[in-house]
Amino acid sequence: MKKNGVKMIKIKAKDVDVFYGKKQALFNISLDIEENQVTALIGPSGCGKSTFLRCLNRMNDVIDICSVKGEILINDFNINDKSCDVVRLREKIGMVFQKPNPFPKTLYENVSYGPTIHGMAQSKQEMDEIVETSLKKAALWEEVKDRLHEPGTGLSGGQQQRLCIARAISVRPEVILMDEPCSALDPIATAQIEELIDELKKEHTIIIVTHSMAQAARVSQNTGFFHLGQLIEHGSTDKIFKNPDNKKTQDYITGRFG
Amino acid sequence: MNKNKEQLLNKRYKAEQRFRLYGQSAIFMALLFLTIFIFKIFSTGYSAFQKTWLIVPVTFDPELMMLEQNPSKEDIQDADYYDIALKSMADLDLNANEDQENELKRMVSYFFEKEIKNELLNDPNLIGKTKEVYLTASDDLDQVFKGNYPRDLPEDQRRVSDYQLKIFDQLVVNGMVESKFNISFFTNADSREAELAGIASSFMGSIFSILVCLMIAFPVAVLAAIYLEEFAPKNRFTDFIEVNINNLAAVPSIVFGLLGLGVLLAIFQLPRSTPLVGGITLSLMTLPTIIIAARASLKAVPPSIREAALAMGASRMQTTMHHTVPLSMPGTLSGTIIGLAQALGETAPLILIGMVAFVNTIPGSPMDPAASLPVQIYIWAESAERGFVEKVSACIMVLLGFLITMNLFAQIIRHKFEKKWS
Amino acid sequence: MSEAPHTVKSYEEELKNLNANIVKMGSACEDALGKAIHAITTRNSDIAENVIQDDEKIDKYEALIEQQVVNLIALRQPMAIDLRETVTALKMSSDLERIGDLAKNISKRTLLLNENLPKNLVDSLNRVSTNVQKQLKSTLDAYLERSAPIAVNVWEGDEQIDDLTNLCMQEVIKYLKDNEKNLEDGTHLLFVTKNVERIGDHTTNVAEQIYFLVKGEYLEGDRPKGTEPIVTGEK
Repeated sequence: MKKNGVKMIKIKAKDVDVFYGKKQALFNISLDIEENQVTALIGPSGCGKSTFLRCLNRMNDVIDICSVKGEILINDFNINDKSCDVVRLREKIGMVFQKPNPFPKTLYENVSYGPTIHGMAQSKQEMDEIVETSLKKAALWEEVKDRLHEPGTGLSGGQQQRLCIARAISVRPEVILMDEPCSALDPIATAQIEELIDELKKEHTIIIVTHSMAQAARVSQNTGFFHLGQLIEHGSTDKIFKNPDNKKTQDYITGRFG
Repeated sequence: MNKNKEQLLNKRYKAEQRFRLYGQSAIFMALLFLTIFIFKIFSTGYSAFQKTWLIVPVTFDPELMMLEQNPSKEDIQDADYYDIALKSMADLDLNANEDQENELKRMVSYFFEKEIKNELLNDPNLIGKTKEVYLTASDDLDQVFKGNYPRDLPEDQRRVSDYQLKIFDQLVVNGMVESKFNISFFTNADSREAELAGIASSFMGSIFSILVCLMIAFPVAVLAAIYLEEFAPKNRFTDFIEVNINNLAAVPSIVFGLLGLGVLLAIFQLPRSTPLVGGITLSLMTLPTIIIAARASLKAVPPSIREAALAMGASRMQTTMHHTVPLSMPGTLSGTIIGLAQALGETAPLILIGMVAFVNTIPGSPMDPAASLPVQIYIWAESAERGFVEKVSACIMVLLGFLITMNLFAQIIRHKFEKKWS
Repeated sequence: MSEAPHTVKSYEEELKNLNANIVKMGSACEDALGKAIHAITTRNSDIAENVIQDDEKIDKYEALIEQQVVNLIALRQPMAIDLRETVTALKMSSDLERIGDLAKNISKRTLLLNENLPKNLVDSLNRVSTNVQKQLKSTLDAYLERSAPIAVNVWEGDEQIDDLTNLCMQEVIKYLKDNEKNLEDGTHLLFVTKNVERIGDHTTNVAEQIYFLVKGEYLEGDRPKGTEPIVTGEK
């Protein structure tokens, strides 16, 4: 989104290196992510795009041997700083995963889990409200409002993924990270998610990793191309898909390697 | 070329058929052995659930019992029943000489005096009257009646004399022998007399041991598993621990018995022969089994669930307690039950800590001396009396029933509560 | 093509096939233009007839290319260079088809001419035609070599054609003024001249498309600096 003609930068990555043990997975990634826009990260498998995504909410912390260097500024605050509280960070930065992974609990519990652990609702009514708005925003409310207390695992794949999105937005994150959110879904469910992404970008900054270049082209305003742990090219999506600057980017998006 | 192909194809099909045949015969063999085993146990054991009674008319003669007029309850309690008991047995053959009277007395259990006494205690109005009383037949006659006794042996090689057999046959003809369900097998403690021996003591002993074992092993094992799986850093030390837990699961149970003996009894001075010590020893043995089961089911919780919780901003502890552990519980519980079932069938360590002692009382707490079912089987199998043979099988049946119930329970838990993800 | 081959070979084949068809169509147009000019300057009816007949071939090429492009877009979803390749092919084919039509129109008019033409006029027509032919040839070369500089050259050369066309027009007008009976032939010649000029315009269009194909940018907004600007504003 432009304010006074200036692009608002939400996330600023500066010289990010990631190591798995001795193996370097990301080299010197510097990338600016615009606020209230969808940024797609594309690239062949193992290129580091998911790794980069997981740097943004420090999910890499879970992996013992993984170490991250460099600065990632979100709202001008370095999340790799020691003073950054991971729990707070993840409240601000939601994540949706490749495979729909609702908790094996009821729909209601799935959505209310985040607000519960972050103490966002003072009463049952408030919680009901949060659940309802989250499900509405995830375009799932109409389909499930009569069975909120049935298990979330009973939904179809697409509904499960939207449930996961509802769960992610229940804590009103500023940024939503999506790691190949449609790779396990059929085209209709994919289209629904894509429509949802378009809707969500009004209130959230979205970063999506996808293997489908067509999807990246459809949903994103900016695209970054990763290859072998390096950010090869980053720019507006129509530029990348019509006339990329880099030969490697072109070869990748036209299907000449990978 | 084509012919070659055809031959090759035929060969392949034949090889497949052969392989299938091997598999089928292997399964057949296994089933055969199982059937033989079960058949053997049931055929020898089922009769233990029946008990032979002699129906003997007893005259409650107050004089012989040294009772005065209108005796109080205490008087009846303290009365002398030996004479009337002896007399009612002797009366079965009015021509019997003294030796034969002795033999007649041995046709019922030594407990017969008490059985007569109980009869009177139940109905004090019987004084001076005659009533047909059910007396437990001696174990040998019990076997004779069940047809398990070799009558054609020479007399000096069997414990039942020709005279006793003659009288017994007369009684059978007169309808004075009856077979009824053997309640005492379940309510009596162990006894030297086969006809009176029951499994109550060892059954309770087993239950107490298992409870103690569960209460110690389950929390310790689950906590250990959670720590190792969810929190411990992966380094050489935790690898070492992991290897050793697996080793521990392979340690012969008798070694744990020695540990119990050396540490619990010798150092901590815990009471010998008790389910408490037995349970602690068994818990040491069960610990690795439960840890392994719990870790396996924690591992089986898809990482996506953990990621989902972490990404929602849950702390590690919250992730573990809210999601991972509840999801792993069915697997952990069924693993625990299987571990306990294993412990239930364990004999060697219990023998070492003295649970092999002859206990003729029913334990009321884990601190009372008791036997356990497998040890009871061991004790009875050691005994010479023919009456114990069927008891061993019957006890095995009870133990198997117990184990099957537990395993069934484990299966039910697993199927009913296991969450389906994806 | 200078690109590395596609992972999917059949896709690569389809693109190559499309490419080849454009080249074939282009040379058919070049051929038609050459023959049409030859026919009118030498007053050869046979060749003119030939050109008229051959136009059907060019139309067929256009239909074929259009079909191939639609298939590629529907089934392969081409991206970046492939997308430009496909879209350019579509646009080029329609320009080339127009060139074919115009050549055919020249030949039709050739058959209608009655008198011998004055040498000045023929020379003038020849000059502009040769220039257009050269332009068309360069354009096809640019396409074959994926060369942006050649395309720019062609684009810039359009100005000269316009000038030559004006000269030729003047000759035709003079021819008209000369004699009243020249009216019919003169009108035809006006159209022929205009047609040649139109062919030049279409050729320039194709050159623009080739520039977009190679560079991914449009020529108008971003003129190469180093070369002398000959054309101003007018396309």
